Amino acid sequence: MIKIKNLKAEIDGKEILKGIDLEIQPGKVHAIMGPNGSGKSTLSYILAGREEYTVTGGDIELNGQSILDMAPEERAAKGVFLAFQYPVEIPGVQMTPFMKTALNSVRKARGLKELDAIDFLKLMKAKCKELGISDDMMKRAVNVGFSGGEKKRNEVLQMAMLEPKFCVLDETDSGLDIDALKIVADGVNKMRGGDKSFLVITHYQRLLDYIKPDVVHVLAGGKIVKTGGPELAHELEKTGYANVA
Amino acid sequence: MLPDVPSPKLERWKYTNLERALKKLNLMPAALGWGSDVKLLNPHAPGEAQYKDTQLWDLNTSHTKDIKFITSDEIIEISAKDGQWLSPRLVIHVKDGQTVTVIERQNGQGGYWKNGVAQIIVGKNAKLRHYRIIDEAEGAVSTQFIHVKIDRDGSYEGYNHIEGAGLIRNQVHAELNGENGNFSIAGLNLLRGEQHADTTITIEHKAPHCNSNQTYKSVLDGKSRCVFQGKVHVHQIAQKTDGYQLSNALILSPQAEMDTKPELEIYADDVKCSHGATTGKLDEEPLFYMRARGIPEKEARSLLITSFCAQAVDTITDEGMQTHITEKLAQWLASRT
Ligand SMILES: Nc1ncnc2c1ncn2[C@@H]1O[C@H](COP(=O)(O)OP(=O)(O)OP(=O)(O)O)[C@@H](O)[C@H]1O
Ligand SMILES: [Mg+2]
Repeated sequence: MIKIKNLKAEIDGKEILKGIDLEIQPGKVHAIMGPNGSGKSTLSYILAGREEYTVTGGDIELNGQSILDMAPEERAAKGVFLAFQYPVEIPGVQMTPFMKTALNSVRKARGLKELDAIDFLKLMKAKCKELGISDDMMKRAVNVGFSGGEKKRNEVLQMAMLEPKFCVLDETDSGLDIDALKIVADGVNKMRGGDKSFLVITHYQRLLDYIKPDVVHVLAGGKIVKTGGPELAHELEKTGYANVA
Repeated sequence: MLPDVPSPKLERWKYTNLERALKKLNLMPAALGWGSDVKLLNPHAPGEAQYKDTQLWDLNTSHTKDIKFITSDEIIEISAKDGQWLSPRLVIHVKDGQTVTVIERQNGQGGYWKNGVAQIIVGKNAKLRHYRIIDEAEGAVSTQFIHVKIDRDGSYEGYNHIEGAGLIRNQVHAELNGENGNFSIAGLNLLRGEQHADTTITIEHKAPHCNSNQTYKSVLDGKSRCVFQGKVHVHQIAQKTDGYQLSNALILSPQAEMDTKPELEIYADDVKCSHGATTGKLDEEPLFYMRARGIPEKEARSLLITSFCAQAVDTITDEGMQTHITEKLAQWLASRT
């Protein structure tokens, strides 16, 4: 379970999050919608531990434990996963060693045995297959030259590999055609349930047709201004943010 | 006791104060025991008037007690001891049509000065792989002067792996004297603490249809300082020259410093010459991306630094040596605090 309590944050002296309260129970999917610049990516970066932002108040708890003082890698080991709005290209670092290092780092931190090359490749192939992702991507440098859709699918693959407890998907649907969108949604739906929680950030109802959220929030001006059921997303699609923000 | 050495007043020595470094040492002329009762066939320093920077070469010629002739594959280790002033001289001659690999390991203990010279001739259609692993003691001063003459269709592949000394000047002068010659030199400077490494390269294209390539990557930590001066001189006769020079530096600490001075001097009109030089820090974005995937910060940095260095390491055509250098780099990264 993830609990965000009155979270306030700034960057370069500019206050961006102005007191966010949000609680996601195990197994639930929450969606956040909101206009450009309202602080959605900022929230997701802060959840993942990006150091450029200064948290000026409040707390973030994962299963009762504050994660604010944890480094990004510690949070990942605890089960936080962020699918980036803009996945980063890393020239010269190949996908396979990158993924293997990542997986074995979290396994080690979780007290699990590290996988050798063969077991790792088996697992990766299986996950690719399960998600309907071509494993050609694994032979390339991380995100380098990937199409927009490939980058987003790569995020979902990494999410599936690392077995997180709490996933933040920051506009994973933007720029996707309908097939890619289905792959992403299927990926989430397969992992859904159990004790995993999801926070899905999107601008579009479209994604929420495929990933049915339990709760929808509207973030505007650094605050959650409205919370409701899936019907809230439909409402926003019709009327825009003007009425809620 | 100390001889006259080039001063920073000289253009080509602008960034490196050899005298100051030598003054800190207590030195006595010494020898490795190779013997010098062979007559040096070509004792004279290279360079026409404009590159006359041969003081150290001449000093080596007048002091050397260690001369080694190399005409076939060889691994040479040159180890110095505290207080020694060594003047080793390598004469490498790859005869026409032959391929030779020379591995040179430079190391030592304590405070010493190595003033080395390597004079190299690559014959017609011959190839030399010259891999130099320079891992001198922290308190040492190492001045190295390599001169390479390449004949028609000859090829020199050099790789310089520099992890020390306290102060090092690695000076290279290449002459492409026959058509279709190829001179390629790559290197890593891995520096930390107060280390100072100066790489000064001059490549003279004196014949048409020759290639030269310089690929240097420098990783600078602590208060280290790195100098890269690369000069490509294309003589009027050297049409269809292809010359490329790359120097990329990665600054890991705010106190580290890189000085880069690329120079092209071109007197022929039909040539392709270019250079690229960058100095930068590690990108925060990839670093955060990797950490968000659970990769510990130090490891994430190491992965990024390794990929930064890859272009230089990849020039090594000998597979075993490439693996060895990859391991050396990994060790250097692992020992970072
Ligand atoms: N590094 C930064 N320096 C200054 N301002 C920043 C920085 N990063 C974000 N901001 C500002 O913070 C605000 C929130 O940005 P954020 O990226 O979180 O919005 P968003 O809701 O994700 O928008 P979008 O829907 O366009 O993705 C914006 O006004 C943005 O300009
Ligand atoms: Mg955003």
